[in-house]
Amino acid sequence: MTDDRDKTEIERQRGELRETERRREGRRVTERKGDSVRAAIREELSTETPPTSRRAIQRAEREAETPVIALDHVYLAFASPILEDVSFVARKGETICIVGESGTGKSTTLKLILRLLVPDRGQVNIDGQDITDLTFEEALQVRQRMGMVFQGAALFDSMTVFENVAYPLREHTDLSEDEIEQRVREKLEFVDLEPDKVLEQLPSQLSGGMRKRVGIARGMANNPEIMLYDEPTSGLDPLTTGTITRLIKKLQKELDVTSVVVSHDIRSVFNMASKVAVLHDRRIDFFGTPEEMAGSDDPYIRDFLGGT
Amino acid sequence: MPAFVDRFSEAAKEKVQTVQDYFALAGRAIGFAFARPLYVQDWVQQMDEIGVKSLGIVLLTGFFTGMVLALQSSVQLQAFGISSLVGRLVAGSMIRELGPVLAGLMVAGRVGSGIAAQLGSMRVTEQIDALNTLGTDPIKKLVTPRVLAALVMLPILTIINDFVGIVGGNLIATLLIGIPTGQYWRTVWEQIVSGGFTLRYIPNDFIQGLVKPFVFGGIISISGCYFGLNTTGGTEGVGQATTRTVVLSSILILVVDYFLTQILLSVLAP
Repeated sequence: MTDDRDKTEIERQRGELRETERRREGRRVTERKGDSVRAAIREELSTETPPTSRRAIQRAEREAETPVIALDHVYLAFASPILEDVSFVARKGETICIVGESGTGKSTTLKLILRLLVPDRGQVNIDGQDITDLTFEEALQVRQRMGMVFQGAALFDSMTVFENVAYPLREHTDLSEDEIEQRVREKLEFVDLEPDKVLEQLPSQLSGGMRKRVGIARGMANNPEIMLYDEPTSGLDPLTTGTITRLIKKLQKELDVTSVVVSHDIRSVFNMASKVAVLHDRRIDFFGTPEEMAGSDDPYIRDFLGGT
Repeated sequence: MPAFVDRFSEAAKEKVQTVQDYFALAGRAIGFAFARPLYVQDWVQQMDEIGVKSLGIVLLTGFFTGMVLALQSSVQLQAFGISSLVGRLVAGSMIRELGPVLAGLMVAGRVGSGIAAQLGSMRVTEQIDALNTLGTDPIKKLVTPRVLAALVMLPILTIINDFVGIVGGNLIATLLIGIPTGQYWRTVWEQIVSGGFTLRYIPNDFIQGLVKPFVFGGIISISGCYFGLNTTGGTEGVGQATTRTVVLSSILILVVDYFLTQILLSVLAP
């Protein structure tokens, strides 16, 4: 009896040691850069672990790359703490959904990524670069790589749809007027709007769903690598919600952008998320794939999913 | 230390911080006027918004102020038998004081509130955040054009206000008091000359009458932008920002006017 238990215990410990060793090995590999990393991983995957599918290799490759967005133990307080110890990573092409109750700091997290806010402690890394110490002008540079879709779309109401979508292009590119118009039309078509109908309209003349779509078109006008969405489906009917969710997925698939979506709508979250981060009590309570979330025993998450 | 002392020092710190932020905003707004990209189109648009569209109320208030000034002063001056000097009195008060202050107060009510309401609603609908996100400095895009436009347009509005006021006085002096137009304008000129000249040709009264609206323009536009950009709490917050702008800029105009007058009178002694 005792012998058996000892044996299993030793076996377990040995397994653990092997596991840490392998992890350490993996980390050493990730420290190298570029193609050599991919080659090394492929080699390791083919020798150490049993042959895996292409998807696993791709995933491993991505794991090895520097994450596009990484929040590291972020702490933020105004009068009282808003976020305590928030960490998560988003790798290239992933869609991270942040869910949680109202007022738990979800939108604040987006503002940290945009560096509209600076954390009191911790780091916000974009492509491995800590953006918390940047000057105002440097921050403007970083923001140009991101597209943001605001909750209320936040279109400039003194400008037409055309001027709104053209705004980032006029501001940061040397494109000619013709090229700008072409790009604006292209983006509006991407979000399923008819350019000829909406170009000259003012935001106040559009419906809520159309405003959101113009907001997405403006956010992606500059071909950003990162898209951030603040409650993209709130206040929309189920059909329009479906359309917007489809658009977010299409954007991710066709342009391989990394996205962070703040949302309440669990159905669309499960539909589009690569990983879900649950923000509860100012902390990230859970970070994992939708499948892992659905299988979680955590009472809060079960409650959040509506006890399903 | 007693709790109330702590609370007092907290409140005082907050106030000092506010003043500091206010001047920081002013500094950055002016600084951006010399840094590319210049949003010249926005400058022109704001000059139209702040200057040209305020012309109506400035004409109206100037005209009636000049008339009532002539009317009141004629009664007073008649007691001393010098009602022929109405022109001097109207010109002196309009150019030195009433022109700048009235134009300032009217523009504070019309433009200051408008700036606060517009920037405030842009803040609460996240349009300011959107500008930031799209890589534009909101101060450069929104504040600088408004401040520059106010600095340029308020002196111009004041000149118009002064002129219309003196013409209003002329009307009353000629029609009701019986002073010929020629004599009225001669006394107006006498008043301007009596203030002395700087660099031989520039009447001191004009300098006094133009430095003031320049400063008032800064006060109005920066107050409006400051309260607008710092709006919190939705539509109610926009209302508060508007009220605060009008109250603060009106008070500042009157207080600063006193100190400016004191300084200018001692510097520009005839």
